[in-house]
Amino acid sequence: MPYLEMKGVTKRYSDDLLANDAIDFSVEKQEIHAVVGENGAGKSTLMKILYGLEQPDAGTINLDGARVVIHSPLDANRLGIGMVHQHFKLIPDFTVAENVALGAEPVRGGLFIDRSAAHARIGKVIESHGFAVDPTARVAELTVGQMQQVEIVKMLYRKAELLILDEPTSVLTEQEIRRLFDTLRSLRRNGKTCIIITHKLHEVKEISDRVTVMRKGRVVAVRDTAGVDKAELSRLMVGKSVLFQFEREKKACGSPVLQLEGVSLRRRASGRPLLDTVSLTVRSCEIVGVAGVSGNGLGELEDVVSGLRRIESGRILHNGEDISGLSTATLREKGLAYVPADRLHRGASLHSTVTENMIVSNHHGFLRAGFLAGARIQQFAERLTRSFSIDGAPQVPIGTLSGGNIQKVILARELASASNLLIVAEPTWGLDVASSQFVYEKILEMRSAGAGILLISSNLDEILGIADTIAVMYRGRIVAILPNAPDLSKERIGEYMLGLREDFARQTDAERGVRK
Amino acid sequence: MLTGFTGLALTLVFSFALVIALILLLSKTPGRTIWYFFAGAFTNAYYLGNMLNSAVPLVFTGLAIAVAFKSSVFNLGGEGQVYAGGLAATAVCLALPAANAYLGGFAAMAGAVVVSGILAGLSGFFKMKWNADEMISSFLLSSAIILVVNFFITGPLDDPNNNLLATLPIGKQYALTKIFPPSKLNVSAFFAIATAVLVSFFMARTHAGYEMRMCGLNREFSRYGGISVSKYFVLPMAMGGALNGLAGGLLVLGTYGASIKGFSAGMGWNGIAVALIARNSPLGVIPAALLFAYLEAGAKAAMLHSDVTFEIAAIAQSFIFYFVTAQSLYSLARRRKKP
Repeated sequence: MPYLEMKGVTKRYSDDLLANDAIDFSVEKQEIHAVVGENGAGKSTLMKILYGLEQPDAGTINLDGARVVIHSPLDANRLGIGMVHQHFKLIPDFTVAENVALGAEPVRGGLFIDRSAAHARIGKVIESHGFAVDPTARVAELTVGQMQQVEIVKMLYRKAELLILDEPTSVLTEQEIRRLFDTLRSLRRNGKTCIIITHKLHEVKEISDRVTVMRKGRVVAVRDTAGVDKAELSRLMVGKSVLFQFEREKKACGSPVLQLEGVSLRRRASGRPLLDTVSLTVRSCEIVGVAGVSGNGLGELEDVVSGLRRIESGRILHNGEDISGLSTATLREKGLAYVPADRLHRGASLHSTVTENMIVSNHHGFLRAGFLAGARIQQFAERLTRSFSIDGAPQVPIGTLSGGNIQKVILARELASASNLLIVAEPTWGLDVASSQFVYEKILEMRSAGAGILLISSNLDEILGIADTIAVMYRGRIVAILPNAPDLSKERIGEYMLGLREDFARQTDAERGVRK
Repeated sequence: MLTGFTGLALTLVFSFALVIALILLLSKTPGRTIWYFFAGAFTNAYYLGNMLNSAVPLVFTGLAIAVAFKSSVFNLGGEGQVYAGGLAATAVCLALPAANAYLGGFAAMAGAVVVSGILAGLSGFFKMKWNADEMISSFLLSSAIILVVNFFITGPLDDPNNNLLATLPIGKQYALTKIFPPSKLNVSAFFAIATAVLVSFFMARTHAGYEMRMCGLNREFSRYGGISVSKYFVLPMAMGGALNGLAGGLLVLGTYGASIKGFSAGMGWNGIAVALIARNSPLGVIPAALLFAYLEAGAKAAMLHSDVTFEIAAIAQSFIFYFVTAQSLYSLARRRKKP
């Protein structure tokens, strides 16, 4: 009898949205079980049901041979089920120990929190599983990888036997992923069971014992991982084979389109540099991929080149013209095209219609004597919807579309107004294989048409897949600029990303003192 | 949207049920009181016309709030803006005692619009310049300006021949044409409808309206899209102030013929309730204002013809206000919860 058995689980959100359709899902004790599927395949819904965040419309759950009903995450915790969310649920100002104990504090005398008992228990969990976090450190000071460890410790502290990890690798570096996988293997040795949700097929191959493939709310296959290859998994996921390799024709790179010269930005309170004398050139017909772990300046780079944040020193040039002090509004007039990493807040206004979202950057072009030209806007929206095969009518709120389709709307809008420079940040974050493929094709089309593209991404596969030149950022500095050659490995880039290696010595204040 | 209307209907039914319960509790002749409360406004032309007339300023103040809410700025200075608008119109009329009715009337309205528009626009400007909370600054400015207006009404502009705390009466030629005698209903009702239509069109179809709505829904997105967002702290505030000023000015020209101390009290606040009931839809403001006026008229009729006090209308309005607010807060919370 399997350790966990979900039978006939059905969840319907609305008439046309059947998220889980009579799912049968089972996990053996001491197994690492991968759940894969495209966006909207129903993986998250299934896991939410298992963790008590959603109630199924039908179906049963058996755990360890007994029928269970899970009404809430608290129920799930009591049953020994723990979940590590994609977005961590930690309080930055609390220490690791405080975060771990929160909600499950040992109490002394019925009233006081027994700090020493909490520390002792947490210390034991950390030690026995070989985690590398200090229980007294403040969470705000930790790396993303360490925060994830804290989340896992939190679950183990609550005596979780079954761990659900939702896209655990999406925010990690190569080395941190290694570490996570070591942790998972060690947990398996210690008798724990893990379910890991992921998009990345090589990770499935590497870490899991068995894999369940979901598509459109159904389970389409359950396989022993050893018996399937990546191509078959991807075929099962999307229903057709997809190519992972891109034909990257080498083109003669032209003149510089975007130049950053010694660009610096400081955090207001602490004076810590967020961007430290960043110099970078993007030429026409070139994709420059900037890699880095989140928190090392990628977001700030995105902000300054799009004019959303003022730089403190240095210069930014577009086609040789200084654009350092210009507002986003002015840059938009000059043809700024920018696909932001934060697509749900910055890139889209979720309660506005698809059409309204499509014209935000170029609505000035649809004016007739101060009035919006409705018919022309409608034609424009319909044209973009067709040419980007967006699954959603132009007049519905964009928030009702799937993540992939929202990204298509953003991409369609930005490419429509693109001049010869495109800034793209995390363009396929959270997208399924087919949507990612589509996004890459569009970016490569722009490159072929002669545009210079700045691709800011923490996804190394993506950068290695399409970039011509790779720049790596660590603590706000560019630590390496490498041509994308076949012998360039992920591990090597990972070393730069983690600050283990750097090609450019840190400039002293005197050296860069000219423009302070 | 259907659920929104069903929700509103339920809210109204529930509020009316509470009013009936209150009347049953407080009145010695509940049958008579209930009849006058609900049907009193329709028993004669005078009541009906006055009810419609008292909805007119609420349309303007409701629009003022709706415009600001749509842009995610909060104008809590309605009280002072209406009052100052009224005084400004009065002052212009008094300064031009013998002018042509149309030209002078237009000048009076322009005065009201400018004074209240600047008064509210200042809060938007402070927000843009120093990030001062426009909710607080508009409220404080409004509270202060009420005292200033009181000073002018009871001081320099006071009518010595009148025992009322009121200014001198404005020239007869300025009085807006009555359209439903013997009631006070006048052509300002048409202005109200026209203004609602104009505002609705402005928000939906113009360049500035689009940018205002986008800023209201998501300022980060708007800035990213190249909209100069700081402008849209000032414009919706100033527009709201102008609409509030119109409410005050039209009250003077249409209904009172002078500024009377406290004549516009409550209209700014009721505008918030009206906008909430209308869910910030400019056209929805008209029925919402009528509903508020209806409740007030019903209470007046019940007070005159039966034994309850006017406060019963205030209680009914508060019920509706609370329920509608709770309902919109609830749907907002639900919207937030969705990732």
